[in-house]
Amino acid sequence: MLLNLTNVVAGYGGSDVLQGVNLAVEDGSITCIVGPNGAGKSTVLRVVSGLLRPRTGEITYNGRSIAGMNPRQILSLGIVQVAQNHSVFPKMTVRENVRLGAFMLSDRALVNRRLEEVEEMFPVVKERANDKAGSLSGGQQRLVEFARCLMLDPQLILLDEPSMGLDPKTLRQVFERVKAMQQGGRTILLVEQNARAGLGISNHGVVMESGRVRLEGSHEDVLSNPEISQLYLGGTISAAPKTSIS
Amino acid sequence: MDLILQAAIIGILTGGVYALMASGLTLTFGVMEIINIGQGALVILGAYLIYVLEQKLHLDLFVGLLITMPLMFGFGLLIEWAFVRPLKRDRIMLSILVTFGVALVIEGLLGLIFTTDLVRLQAWYTTASFQVAGFYLSYIYVFGFLLSVVLLAALYFLIYRTKFGASLRALMENRTAAQLIGIPVERVSAITFGIGVALTAAGGMAFGATNSFNPGSSYDLISRLLVIIVLGGMGSLGGALIASVLMLVIEDVTAVIWSPIWSTTVFFIVLVIVLLVRPQGLFGQVAGRKQ
Repeated sequence: MLLNLTNVVAGYGGSDVLQGVNLAVEDGSITCIVGPNGAGKSTVLRVVSGLLRPRTGEITYNGRSIAGMNPRQILSLGIVQVAQNHSVFPKMTVRENVRLGAFMLSDRALVNRRLEEVEEMFPVVKERANDKAGSLSGGQQRLVEFARCLMLDPQLILLDEPSMGLDPKTLRQVFERVKAMQQGGRTILLVEQNARAGLGISNHGVVMESGRVRLEGSHEDVLSNPEISQLYLGGTISAAPKTSIS
Repeated sequence: MDLILQAAIIGILTGGVYALMASGLTLTFGVMEIINIGQGALVILGAYLIYVLEQKLHLDLFVGLLITMPLMFGFGLLIEWAFVRPLKRDRIMLSILVTFGVALVIEGLLGLIFTTDLVRLQAWYTTASFQVAGFYLSYIYVFGFLLSVVLLAALYFLIYRTKFGASLRALMENRTAAQLIGIPVERVSAITFGIGVALTAAGGMAFGATNSFNPGSSYDLISRLLVIIVLGGMGSLGGALIASVLMLVIEDVTAVIWSPIWSTTVFFIVLVIVLLVRPQGLFGQVAGRKQ
C-alpha cells in the first residue's frame, strides 16, 4: 500500500472529527471517500497533507511515518492536495498560478519543462496563460488547479470535492482529467459529495460517517450497497463496525 | 485659486508620505490578517531614531535611514515572533490588543528617554523652500514625496516581480492554497511584518521632518492610518495610496477654502459616503473571498 492511516484521531479545538480512521490507498489506484457532511472526509485529506496534525494514530507513506509533518515536508515527499472550492489565486494570471505549483523547486529549467508538459495536458493553461485565474469558469479553474499540482510531479494527489459547483458536462471533463492523471501513473485519493460520479471513476470506495470508516470495497460493491442510498437520503448506516464488502 | 492649487499639491506630496506609512499596515493586514495598532508608535519610534542619529552623530536625515530601516526591519521580526506568531485564533481582535500593548510600551519608553517635549527633525531642507510655476514648495515635502515614490516603487517591484512577492500575493489571496503549494507561511508573514515596520522608519523620518512630535503623537497617526486603509480597502496597496492622497488633499483644500477646523470633518463625511456605497472600501474585496 502506498498510504496507510491507522487509528487516526484528529480534530479542531476540543472536538475530534476523526475518531480512529483506518484507511489504505493502493499505489496507482483512485480511491474515493464518500459520506455525508461532517463525516470527516476532508479532514482525512488535511491530516495527510499536513494541514492538520493528528492527535493520535499513524500515517505511513511508502512505509515511512509522515504523521505530524508540515505541508512543505509532505510536498517534498510527492504528496499534493488540491483544496476544496476554487483554490486558484484569482487575481494572479493562469501562468503565475501554475508556476507557483513549483514554488519549492529552484531549478528554473526543470520548472519550464514541467510547465510545457502541463500545458500540453491542459491546453487551457496555455490558451488563457495571461488571463486572471478568477476570470475562468469553475471547470477551467479546476483544470488550472490540477495543472498546478502536477508541477511537482507528485506520486499521490489528494483531491477535495473536485465536482463542487460544476455542471454535469464540465464535471465529466474534469473527471476525465482525474482518470488521465491516474493513467499517467499517479495515485489519487478523492473526496466526493457526488458519490455516484466519484465512485464511478474509482477502483476503491470508502464510506465515512461520524469520523469513522463504515464501509469500504470496490466501487461497484460500494455503489450497489443498499445502505449507501439510505445514507444519502438522510439516514445512517446501521452497521456500526467497519464492514469490508469486497 | 492659486491657494487651492497649492494646497492640493501639498496634499498630494504629504499624501505620498502617508501612503508609505499606511502601506505597511495594509500589507500586514492583507498577508497576516492582523491589524497592527502599534504602527503609529513605530512611526514615532522611527522618527526618534533619526532624531538621535541627527543629534548625536550629525547624520543627514536620509542617510540615517540606511541605519534605521534595517534596524526597524529587525525590530519588526522580533515583534512578529514574540507577539503576533503565537496568536492562533481570533487573530484580528487579539492582534489589536497585543500591538496596542506594544505601542504603549514603546510610548512609555520613549517618554522616559525623551520626555514629552515636542521635538522636530532638523536639516537644511526642512525649512528651505523653492518656487516653481508661481508656487512655493518646501524641499522636505518634495524630498519626502520622492522618498515615498522610490520606496513604494521598490515595494511594487518586490511584490510583483519576485518569487517572494508571488508567495506574498498568493498568501493574501488564499492562505490554505498557499500552504498547500509549499509557501512557508510563517517566514513570509514575518518578513512582511518586518517590511511594514521598516517602512515606518522612512515614514517616521518624513513625518518628523514636517511635524513637531512627541511620544504621544502616535495616537493621531494611527487613527489616520487606520482610516486610510479602511477607505482604500483593507489589504489593498493601491487603495492605501489613493486614500492617502485623497485624505490629505481634501483636508488641505478644505482648510484653505473653508477652515482648518472643518478639514477633518469634511474628510470623514467623504469616508462615510464612500463606505455607504462601497463598504469594502475603494479597492477592497468583499469579505468571504478568502479561505
